[in-house]
Amino acid sequence: MRKRAFLAGLLIMMICLTVIADHAVAADPAAAMAEMEPLLNKEPDNLQLGARYRQAAIQAAQYDRCIEFYQKLIELRPDASNVRLNFGFAYVDKIPAAGSITQVILANNALTEFTKSLEIKPSWLGYYTRGNSYLFWPRIFGRTALGIKDLEEAMKIQQAEAKRPYHVRTYVALGDGYWKMDELDKAKSVWTEGLKQFPGHAGLQARLSKQGDELKSVMDEAYDPNLRIDTSLEELWAK
Amino acid sequence: MIQSNLDCRPLLKINRCQLLCSAALMAFLPIILMASNENSEIIRFEEIAAKAQVRHVHKTRQFPGKKADVLEMFTSGGSSVAVADFNNDGFEDLFVTSSDTGAENRLYKNNGDMTFTDVSEQAGVTGGNDPLSIVADAVWFDYDNDGWRDLLVARFGTPLLYHNEGYGKFKDVTARTGMNRFGNTISAIAFDYDNDGHLDVLFGNYFPPENLIELKDPHVLPNNLDNAVNGGGASLWRGNGDGTFLDVTKKAGLDNQMGWILDAGHADFNNDGHQDIYLAGDYGTDRLYFNNGDGTFRDLTEAAMGFDTKKGMNAETGDFNNDGWMDVYVTNITDEYMKECNMLWQNNGGETFTDVSKETGTCNTLWGWAAKFGDYDNDGWLDIFAVNGLRSASDDNYIPVLVNMITAPGMDFTDVNNWPDIGEMSWSGYQKKKMFRNLGGQAFKEISAAAGVDNNLDGRGLGQGDFDNDGLLDFYQVNANQPALFYRNITQEAGNWIELKLIGSKSNKDAIGARVTLSAGGRTWISEVNGGNGYAGQSTTRLHFGLGSLGSLGSLGSVEIRWPSGQVDKVTVPVNQITTIEEAKGVVSK
Repeated sequence: MRKRAFLAGLLIMMICLTVIADHAVAADPAAAMAEMEPLLNKEPDNLQLGARYRQAAIQAAQYDRCIEFYQKLIELRPDASNVRLNFGFAYVDKIPAAGSITQVILANNALTEFTKSLEIKPSWLGYYTRGNSYLFWPRIFGRTALGIKDLEEAMKIQQAEAKRPYHVRTYVALGDGYWKMDELDKAKSVWTEGLKQFPGHAGLQARLSKQGDELKSVMDEAYDPNLRIDTSLEELWAK
Repeated sequence: MIQSNLDCRPLLKINRCQLLCSAALMAFLPIILMASNENSEIIRFEEIAAKAQVRHVHKTRQFPGKKADVLEMFTSGGSSVAVADFNNDGFEDLFVTSSDTGAENRLYKNNGDMTFTDVSEQAGVTGGNDPLSIVADAVWFDYDNDGWRDLLVARFGTPLLYHNEGYGKFKDVTARTGMNRFGNTISAIAFDYDNDGHLDVLFGNYFPPENLIELKDPHVLPNNLDNAVNGGGASLWRGNGDGTFLDVTKKAGLDNQMGWILDAGHADFNNDGHQDIYLAGDYGTDRLYFNNGDGTFRDLTEAAMGFDTKKGMNAETGDFNNDGWMDVYVTNITDEYMKECNMLWQNNGGETFTDVSKETGTCNTLWGWAAKFGDYDNDGWLDIFAVNGLRSASDDNYIPVLVNMITAPGMDFTDVNNWPDIGEMSWSGYQKKKMFRNLGGQAFKEISAAAGVDNNLDGRGLGQGDFDNDGLLDFYQVNANQPALFYRNITQEAGNWIELKLIGSKSNKDAIGARVTLSAGGRTWISEVNGGNGYAGQSTTRLHFGLGSLGSLGSLGSVEIRWPSGQVDKVTVPVNQITTIEEAKGVVSK
């Protein structure tokens, strides 16, 4: 009974925090960051609040403030896997706004944090995130195969769970990984299975309907470090 | 088809027939242009360096000591070319550089038949690569307005100046220039920033002013790889017209940045009669300075185009869309591991620019170096040729090794000792050159293979000119540590053309900074004489205009010249000829 009441209280608190955060972010993202920082200090491993804090940082273009905040949060809770994830995403969030060489440094820092998160607590989100991040690295760095390995692990996890809308991401990314390794048949097989599981998915349709240079253009755009990717994690909480 | 019905060629003044021709031409102009643009593969070049006896082989400087490998890699520029008619025989000549200790620069005299004679020794211009100095660039300019182009050799060190004595010999007048401030200069242009009739010199300096050969402090590399502020900056030297120069960098307001400048370009971007400056900076922000007309410049980078973090390599100017405003083409690095994209800065009509490289298809030239505007098929639109490639060696790739260093926590990039040796590894090597044909000012098509210019050498500089006076632009490509290439334009169905050689009188003799507005058949073009725009390569100062089908009517082109002095002359010139125009005198010869 006491446990149930505690969980209910925690849920209400999280909803309140989220509402406060959403409201504040829209009006003044920098001020919203200031409001969320003490809340995150109390709840460092709150993945959702952390994600919203990062979205505020993106809106305010205060990437370094966000990274520095997570750096401090890590010192407080080095064993918290979600803090590590959000910290990694904080680096990712800055990439489109950075110069080409800084992008490499940020991407590498992000991978370090994603790995630490997985070491603390393996999860679908952890494997998908790190696996997808590896795919942004050109093949000469030898990281594509590592990405495929992570994405195969994420696929195993999701196949053992109830199907969720965001699971389509693994089909897309795993196929992309095979494509990057010049394993086109395997890529098409994964994309086809993904489209069977998630009919009408535009990204999968685009990949399966194109070939050659046109398909390469789709890939170049999908893995263009200068284009912002959605790191809001909103799909995790979508009803 | 128009010409066969209305033959106007014998007519030299406007009459009814010519008006009819013009009217008919205007009506058919869109069709003519469309037809021209559809045929994207008419541009053709042949490589004739060996046949022309100009296959110069550049040598990169070899450094002593433990980090020789890294310093050689960082200084792998220095391969440059400067085009000018140094002996006033009506044919463009070539000066090309080398960079290793004792390696000699070469002066090739054009024999007029697309062969050249090496006259370096007789001319006395082979030197510059002494044990403590590295030759990096060269520019021809007539500093004393005596009608003979003099030669400046820029160095990692102090520059050399040779006075053209007028009979095939040059005299080293370096000692009296006053340009004795050490700089790791990689780029030099000559122009008249204050319109006083005497040419001035702007240097783009790469490293901070430390002698790399006698390295005392290893912290000489960029302090940030996207926004470095510890480079050599730019330095401006005001020419007094007598071979002496005064350092006016601070006075002119160009001392507000210390970027790793790789190239400098000048043009009148806001059409106010004063030459403005574009600086291409490696490891970060390019700079745009507008000339106040009082000997000073204002830095309008942020307002005009914003601050970038790219690896600026080249600053070439030209009006690619024929809208009457000078644009800028900057090469950066775009490769598998780095997606910067070039910048084609379209002038918005004054003091702001919009990058249209993606929209026009000119974004990707890989690891870019020099790029030039030139109308290679004389269709009336400026095309682009761009060279690329850093280091072609073994199959092993330096990038993964380099990234390990870059991503190491707390790495001090400035320390040369922290950079891994490159050995025999390649780094953005074996890259195919890019030629973009202009399809009417809105888009370009990449045609390098069809044009026969898709070599994969480690390109650096380009020098353009009409070396055989046939109305087609040829070019000379210099490469790092590799032989040069000489491309003769053999385009068969090129359009008509006009070439103008300008001679200043009150203005500087080379007419650098003069703006020409050419009108023919209802169309208008602008061009300016520049003093060495584009990385490691000075092109001819002769202005070349392609006219497409317009000139086939035999009509005269109407030319307005706005000289740096402010003098405005209006003349008419015949098509398919080289015409010489002297300030305040008009056409003086063909």
